[in-house]
Amino acid sequence: MTGPQALLLAAVAVPAVMLLGCVAPRLRGGMWQALWLAPLPGLAAALLARGSSVSFGPARAQFVLALDTSGAILLGSAAVLWIAAGVYAERDMRSAANGGWFVVCWLATLTGCFGAFLIADMPGFYLFLAVVSLGASGLILQGNTPQARRASGMYLAFALFAETAILMGFVLLAAGTPGGSLLMHDAAAALPTSPWRDPALALLIFGLGTKAALVPLHVWMPLAYPNAPISVAAVLSGAVVKVSIIGLIRVLPWGAAMPDWGAAMAAAGVFGAYYGVVVGLTQSDPKTILAYSSVSQMGLLVAVLGMGLRAGDGGTAIAVALAAAWHLLAKGGLFLAVGASSGTTARRPWPVLLPAGVLALGLGGLPFTGGAVAKLAIKGPLGDGMMATLVTLAAVGTTLLMLHFLRRLPASAPTRAGEAPAGLTLPWLAIAFASIAIPWALYSAVIGPVSDVLAPAALWAAFWPVLVGTLLAVGLRAWGPRLPPVPAGDLVVLGERAASGVATWSVTLERADAVLRLWPVAGLSLLAVAVALGAAMLSGR
Amino acid sequence: MTPGAAVLPCAGDPAGALLVLAIVLPTAGFLLALSVGGGRAERVALLFLAGGFAVAIAIVAAIWRSGHALSYALGGWTPPLGIALRADGLSAVMAMTTALVVGAVALFGRQNFAAPAPGVEARVPLSFWTLLLAVTTALNLIWFAGDLFSLYVALELLTFTAVPLVCLDGRADTLEAALRYMLFALMGSVLYLLGTALLYSAYGTLDIALLSERVRPEPAVWTAAALMTAGLVAKTALFPLHLWLPPAHAGAPPAASALLSALVVKGSFFLLVRLWFDVLPGLPSRAPAELLAALGAAAVLMGSVLALRQARLKLLIAYSTVAQIGYLFLMFPLASGPAGGPVAAGALTGGMLQAVSHATAKAAMFMAAGVMAGALGHDRIAGLAGTARALPMSMFAFGLGGAALIGLPPSGGFLAKWLLLTASVQSGQWWWAAVMLTGGLFTCGYVFMVVGRAMGEKDASEPRIIAAPITGQAVALALAVISMLLGLAALAPLDLVLVGRPTLAVVACR
Repeated sequence: MTGPQALLLAAVAVPAVMLLGCVAPRLRGGMWQALWLAPLPGLAAALLARGSSVSFGPARAQFVLALDTSGAILLGSAAVLWIAAGVYAERDMRSAANGGWFVVCWLATLTGCFGAFLIADMPGFYLFLAVVSLGASGLILQGNTPQARRASGMYLAFALFAETAILMGFVLLAAGTPGGSLLMHDAAAALPTSPWRDPALALLIFGLGTKAALVPLHVWMPLAYPNAPISVAAVLSGAVVKVSIIGLIRVLPWGAAMPDWGAAMAAAGVFGAYYGVVVGLTQSDPKTILAYSSVSQMGLLVAVLGMGLRAGDGGTAIAVALAAAWHLLAKGGLFLAVGASSGTTARRPWPVLLPAGVLALGLGGLPFTGGAVAKLAIKGPLGDGMMATLVTLAAVGTTLLMLHFLRRLPASAPTRAGEAPAGLTLPWLAIAFASIAIPWALYSAVIGPVSDVLAPAALWAAFWPVLVGTLLAVGLRAWGPRLPPVPAGDLVVLGERAASGVATWSVTLERADAVLRLWPVAGLSLLAVAVALGAAMLSGR
Repeated sequence: MTPGAAVLPCAGDPAGALLVLAIVLPTAGFLLALSVGGGRAERVALLFLAGGFAVAIAIVAAIWRSGHALSYALGGWTPPLGIALRADGLSAVMAMTTALVVGAVALFGRQNFAAPAPGVEARVPLSFWTLLLAVTTALNLIWFAGDLFSLYVALELLTFTAVPLVCLDGRADTLEAALRYMLFALMGSVLYLLGTALLYSAYGTLDIALLSERVRPEPAVWTAAALMTAGLVAKTALFPLHLWLPPAHAGAPPAASALLSALVVKGSFFLLVRLWFDVLPGLPSRAPAELLAALGAAAVLMGSVLALRQARLKLLIAYSTVAQIGYLFLMFPLASGPAGGPVAAGALTGGMLQAVSHATAKAAMFMAAGVMAGALGHDRIAGLAGTARALPMSMFAFGLGGAALIGLPPSGGFLAKWLLLTASVQSGQWWWAAVMLTGGLFTCGYVFMVVGRAMGEKDASEPRIIAAPITGQAVALALAVISMLLGLAALAPLDLVLVGRPTLAVVACR
């Protein structure tokens, strides 16, 4: 095994081994200090092991870890966020009552998240997805309120539905792959000619779209993030949700244009982008606002993927990965900012608020931020048509939403008196810095020269939506209080009503079972089975 | 190679003697344990089961190495005059599973069924250890018997050894459950015997290989097949004939529950597979196979929903068994589908793998539940809070077993589900896939319900959870880990299942 291969393995194995170590209570206690160390091999792999792969197991069903460019981009930025959030979590959560479970769920989520970025085969991806979902729902539970329990259950339920669809999608993908390869790369390449192309795509887009909070499958997201601890919301909204993006990048066939499916994805994505902004504006909790902003931003990423699929643009994967990396760092950072600002009384909030303002407006595409870089990167796949205009206008909406967030940010209740401890502020500032620096570095490394971003036309294109959004925000300030309040999770209320319908239905089944298990009924059933079998054979098929 | 050539026993095959050993060894242990009495029965049982384990490994190795079925004609008399034992890939896999699970049950049972003092007579330990050996004999006979009458004997032996396991503790409610089980199983036996008699009167032989050549599609065979299938289905507790299973499996002591759920119901299921794929491959099988699968689908949905509604952990696991048995029957239309060889082979492998995976996972779950119930003093699901902290090992075993049932990779359950889903896609029978996926969601529901409760914090008002001995927990965990890793190991047995199945192509064309 070469050095890069060892790094790939270590990226997943180190958190996994730490997770196993939690079995011993003594080690579990010591795991807190090491939380920030667990993502380090992942960072090293992203920097040093791009292009390598390593496989284990019997030839017919290999477990293959491979790091392509888009995987490396997401793995590296995710590792940075996990490190910062790990430091934050240690300061913030260590004293919490149920601390043992926090560490276990944290490490499980980390293992699954990195695994999903690295894995190349379908069963492995399915496994890591399941590990992520289990770990993440356990982490949300650590909010330790009735709302957190509801949010955690909802997260898990949606994740399970998504994974069921993804499993069936994978089965269809594999069935259409000649030679029985289980690698996502081979399956995606064979997809355009597969006899099961359409059902496979429908299931995969449904499943991964649910994980990406595509409207109307987004309802878990505005419940999960606000009710989870800050460090958890940061990693979930930043790193974990990107698992869906890497999944889509891996299973969609970039070699062939698929106009219908591409257009459908783009339309669904853009709808989500606007929907998230509109509902987000009605919210007052800064964490909920950020969650709706995530609904909006993930919608944009899906829309870009859709446009790339429509045109068969091979550069889409890397462009989307870069934009996703920016959102990963910015959104994770903003959640940490909420924590840092609520940890301090308002005497000197500027060290927290100023960078938060830059990052927030960066989501709208403010020049010189990572947001502007990301915007330029996705310009290629988006093209110049109506979709590009819609995305630009969505940036106006995002600016509006983010200004709403900034206005609500100081209002979030301080959870403890005095200055925020350095342990809470420092991770936030580090991520704020990284979210500006990393997209620049990535752009020059994988897309083009930095001078592209600094060209006056690009600067203006990035700046005017922010300007318009700001002017609108000032103009519309008076309207804010008149917006109708929408409960966080909006459509979820309908779903919960349906669930209670299922509960009454299961009572009926229970009664039916009681009847079927009566002796006379069971005897008759036996007779009926025998007769039916005989009749079935007589029918002679 | 014609089917006949593959199965005609060659009396000189030395490896064939292993099959005799696999049946004689536990029988000898049973007799010896009975004669030495309850005080020493445990040691005898462990010794003979260890021997049986070695024999099972030897059989698997012999089949794996040679790539063809083993057979042995008792006393050198070949069928139709004599009786032949035969082991193909299916039987080897089941025999290995039996050795493994019975071994685990024995180790687990040591803490509950130890003799009060060496040499002191005790009814319950004596019953447990002798019955354990007898169940092993019955199961091995089912896996290896080559004719329908020996299979009938094995089936009866299995029922009469499994029934007392239900009521080992002698309480009134378990006695009632055991009687209910026995009566219904006897009805099943009668139907099976009737069918066998019909076949004998029509063709003059009960040897599986000879029958498969002689059977023609005619009313006598249809009637026989319908009767035998109905009888076996009743013994397997396929919905809606599951009335006896929940009380029996939930009432038995944990070690016995594990054995019953993991292996005993698989005995009659295995016979169904033999019947449809080996004895009657010449019969039109599409419509009855679909009927069986439809019952299986109903079992998956009904069993899962009812598992979700149970208040007691052991009843939940028992209803989960009802659902998982349903999965097994989904393989019939997939494995006899019209789409050609590889699809049928995949479905057959998937179905058998599901049986093996469920055996290990469910045994682990019953054992873990037993440990928890022992430590808590009850098995109410609502009162499980704090169990995960107090008994992490058992909870982990339960969770892993649950993950294998759900079908997370790399468990055997995953590979089984994958193969069956693939078969349903390739044969165009997507509705069975929908059933499997829906059932999987329900499985997630009831597993997480238990794990979630157990991870909660205990109220101070509730009684303290007493510590549980480590051996039982370790055995449960080991079984759960095996079940979880079965997907990796099963890549070899994947082919193993198909060893000695020259008729498969014939089945598939139908």
